[in-house]
Amino acid sequence: MNMMAPTAEVEGELRELSYAEAIREALDIALGEDERVILMGEDIGVYGGAFQVTGDLVHKYGEERVIDTPISELGGAGVSVGAAMCGLKPIFEFQFSDFAALAMEQIVNQAAKVRFMLGGAVSVPLVMRFPAGSGTGAAAQHSQSLEAWLGHVPGLKVVQPSTPADAKGLLLAALDDPDPVMIFEHKLLYKMKGEVPAGRYTTPIGVAAVRREGTDLTIVATSIMVHKALAAAEELAKDGIDVEVVDLRTVRPMDRDTVLASVRKTGRLLCVYEGVKTLGVGAEVSAMVAESDAFDYLDAPIVRLGGAECPIPYNPELEKAAVPQVPDILRAARQLVKAEV
Amino acid sequence: MPTEVIMPKVDMDMSHGKIAVWHAAEGEKVEKSAPLFDIETDKAAMEVESPAAGYLHHTAPAGSDVAIGHAVAWIYAEGEAVEDPPGGKTPEASPAGDAPAPNGHASALAAPDAAQAEPSAPPANGVRATPAARRLAGLKGIDIAAVDGTGPRGRVQKRDVEAAEAHRAKAPEPEAPHHSASTRRAPLPARNVDAAAQPIVLVHGFAADAAGWAPLERRLGKGASVSRIELPGHGRTAAAKIAGFADLLAYVRERFDALELADAHLVGHSLGGALAIALADQRPDAVAALTLIAPAGLGAEIDGAVLAGIARASRAESLAPWLKRLVANDDLISWNYVQAAALARSDPALREAQQQMVDALFPDGVQSFDVRDALRRLDCKTRIIWGRRDAIIPWRHALEAPGRVSLNLFEDVGHLPHVEAPEAIAALMMT
Amino acid sequence: MPDSVDGNAPFAIRQYSADELKAALRKMYLIRKFEEGAEESYTRGLIHGTMHLSIGQEASAVGACMPLTDHDKITSTHRGHGHCVAKGADVEKMFAEFFGKETGYCRGRGGSMHIADVAKGNLGANGIVGGDIPIAVGSALAAKRLGSGAVTVCFFGDGANNEGAFHEALNMAAVWKLPVVFVCENNKYGMSTSTARSTAVKSIAERAASYSMPGLSVDGNDFSAVAEAVDTAVARARAGEGPSLVESVTYRWRGHSKSDRNRYRTKEEIAEWMDKDPIKRMAEMLLAHKILSADAVAELEAEADREIAAAIEAAKAGPDPEAGDLTRDVYTELAA
Repeated sequence: MNMMAPTAEVEGELRELSYAEAIREALDIALGEDERVILMGEDIGVYGGAFQVTGDLVHKYGEERVIDTPISELGGAGVSVGAAMCGLKPIFEFQFSDFAALAMEQIVNQAAKVRFMLGGAVSVPLVMRFPAGSGTGAAAQHSQSLEAWLGHVPGLKVVQPSTPADAKGLLLAALDDPDPVMIFEHKLLYKMKGEVPAGRYTTPIGVAAVRREGTDLTIVATSIMVHKALAAAEELAKDGIDVEVVDLRTVRPMDRDTVLASVRKTGRLLCVYEGVKTLGVGAEVSAMVAESDAFDYLDAPIVRLGGAECPIPYNPELEKAAVPQVPDILRAARQLVKAEV
Repeated sequence: MPTEVIMPKVDMDMSHGKIAVWHAAEGEKVEKSAPLFDIETDKAAMEVESPAAGYLHHTAPAGSDVAIGHAVAWIYAEGEAVEDPPGGKTPEASPAGDAPAPNGHASALAAPDAAQAEPSAPPANGVRATPAARRLAGLKGIDIAAVDGTGPRGRVQKRDVEAAEAHRAKAPEPEAPHHSASTRRAPLPARNVDAAAQPIVLVHGFAADAAGWAPLERRLGKGASVSRIELPGHGRTAAAKIAGFADLLAYVRERFDALELADAHLVGHSLGGALAIALADQRPDAVAALTLIAPAGLGAEIDGAVLAGIARASRAESLAPWLKRLVANDDLISWNYVQAAALARSDPALREAQQQMVDALFPDGVQSFDVRDALRRLDCKTRIIWGRRDAIIPWRHALEAPGRVSLNLFEDVGHLPHVEAPEAIAALMMT
Repeated sequence: MPDSVDGNAPFAIRQYSADELKAALRKMYLIRKFEEGAEESYTRGLIHGTMHLSIGQEASAVGACMPLTDHDKITSTHRGHGHCVAKGADVEKMFAEFFGKETGYCRGRGGSMHIADVAKGNLGANGIVGGDIPIAVGSALAAKRLGSGAVTVCFFGDGANNEGAFHEALNMAAVWKLPVVFVCENNKYGMSTSTARSTAVKSIAERAASYSMPGLSVDGNDFSAVAEAVDTAVARARAGEGPSLVESVTYRWRGHSKSDRNRYRTKEEIAEWMDKDPIKRMAEMLLAHKILSADAVAELEAEADREIAAAIEAAKAGPDPEAGDLTRDVYTELAA
């Protein structure tokens, strides 16, 4: 069974699409099925988006629905919040996830809290997309993985699709969700191809995927790290180390059941994520396990591999060194399984 | 059908007997009438002979108190399949439990019934063990403190509990425990039994063996009760793969525990010194005095070339130069001595085991283990003896010892004070 | 517009019926009495936290809401009690919110600073200065996209005019010609810092020029002037001609919040503005144009007093939220 393929209940014909194409297909479906859906973002119209995700959708749906915003992240994000409160279903694209910093007020103080502050009187059915991650040589202000920032905020949901099929399914699930959903897309994945079912389907938010079953070690990974973990797992299999790879998919709300079940089975946990290691997603995964009955099944300390404690550097070798790579995973996995830590 | 080995009634009012020492290991071949185990009653100690020839299995752990007439082991004929103990009753299923094992080392004595009633018993304090190991031990009714840890710094892993469980409940896989089943489980028996004297336990250093203590033992006199623990892959003790210091310590500890001593005087040389420190730290009730002769584990430096050279040497010619480095006056290393030493090292398996041990314990010529903290924690009477001309481990490592440790430095002595100046060492030990 | 009114009468007199004007004055009293009642409740320990009173700004709130229907939206600020009442809120539910009751507008989760009344088009008060401005633009975008015809009035204070959100949002509203009216209630101080010390332009209405929209500064204590300016702006918005900025110059009699010690302004200044009491001026205008008698005005005030007293008592009796419901409404509960 191809564990990277879409879930079994999806019936659409499978095609090879890139991650970016899969997102565009989801946007196309969303725009086509509901007049209330609008896209907002910088250069998403005739330019097609900085990463060519929106492509030529503007020609199909017009500038009224595929809206180029001024370079006003705070204002643009706020407009999308207000529009969501008043009957639209906006999908807001940040050109780079780093620019979330400019809009944190609207994301954190408004979108996330309005429903609660108003005692449930309104909903904010808003989707925000964040091209994230390093590896493009864009240096410190265009390469961050900030999912943990937003994952820290009650009221938001945060997902990190790792495959084209999930990129489409999670986007449509986010669109169906009555609450704000933040989608962190890894820039290096945009060109990755994978099988994507045709038509409309959703990938459930809050449900992790076991991408590879194994008995010796659980690797909980997010986004592009899922692929690095799988590559490492193949290598480790040659040494007789049988790795289970859990693709977390949703950072908030986290899929406790899948992670704990895997740890109970393997007794060892390695968290691999690109965001800065300290206070990151892996910290939450680790704590979730440590606080649960799965703790009793641990046969080694939990190990985290996350981004280095520095901004993302420009130099390509330094840039690689700043985030976990396959050899790092191999080393950590071997140490864990050999009980060297 | 295997032959049952029972706890014999050897005394009038005896209801239980305690297994003091097994003279054969689990899985080991035994001859009929060969000494099989020692039992200890309130009044006497007695050796029990093997009722049959064959392979020893399902042994009750040393230290167990077993009701008379109950099985303590089974002897299987050559080629006979080893299954669950006949009658379904494992030897340790009938412990009396009224005599706690010494030093809190309960081994498998923890009553399985009690443990099953409380499968999630709180973790034992002060034992390094993974949650999975604790959980499994709780479920299986195994005392985690009695399980040898093979993880980092002696941490008990789940596999260690599984090994302990396998050892207890079934025929053990010969390769599963980290020391080979053919290893003698008991230390070499005490030579001069005199219960009045403080028992002395000798732990030799790397590439030495129990025989190396002979000069010192002669000076200790006939009244001394001396036991010698031989390291795996040394002397007559079979080779075993050692993963690290903790692994080796677990091996030594098991043998020390089997002696069931109280107030022992533990003497360790070099690597044996480090083991003695760690052992005294873990068994404070059993160790009353510690004599450390050029002990390892107090600093990083060590002459790795000598260690590697000795471990590798297969002939007297290649061994001699290294042996001479051990002492201050190389006249002590006669050609006869070298030839005897080379003969003792003629087994390639022994040499391979020692090379592996060098790699595990002294990677890149560095002492990878550190017992300084343990030494600082000790409160038993402790003495360090060192030769100022020790070329293997710098005597200045002795300065790591806390003030209450006695320090005796010998001027024209190298790394083998107990060989180079046995009289003086024996005299110090008697004070 | 009553036929008898002469052409030189103020806009309000010309524009609104006697009943509408009477209702407007009644709302102004209700706001004043509500805030005085809140202050009184605060001193009795019934209110948790702080609050920001708009006493002295009633004409601005009520005047600006005159052109709006329940279908239209407002966004409001931390000093939003007046906007809320002006948009038709029930004062008992407001008090219940102040008292942290489950029966409050936000079920006790929002308090004074976040009161909303979505059914009446009030999208809520906002605790972040300028936070509501992009949201109002979003509301207007939705109205335009959905063709609902709704206009959004965005209230904010002088402090917000120096926030980036203000500039970003006004720019977008203008670029996209959205049906939104920005009403800046310039009460002269952002907490303690005066507009003279914080704002480069003399009149905040001048900011409108940067965004190519009409900008008008009016006497915010003059009900008719505010109503006229906002009415014009709303009409423009409804006609699809885009946003406007109305600066309503007014004054808060009380401090910024309950912890304000009034160190940054003089008693004389406060007294001077109290003489320009917008309610008194509104009553005088209605008396002068014979819309209401003095007795009727007195009766309106007494009625507001009674309504507030009853609302406080009723609100106090409401149930407190259950601790077990702490995390309710963080997310929408979806039917399984």
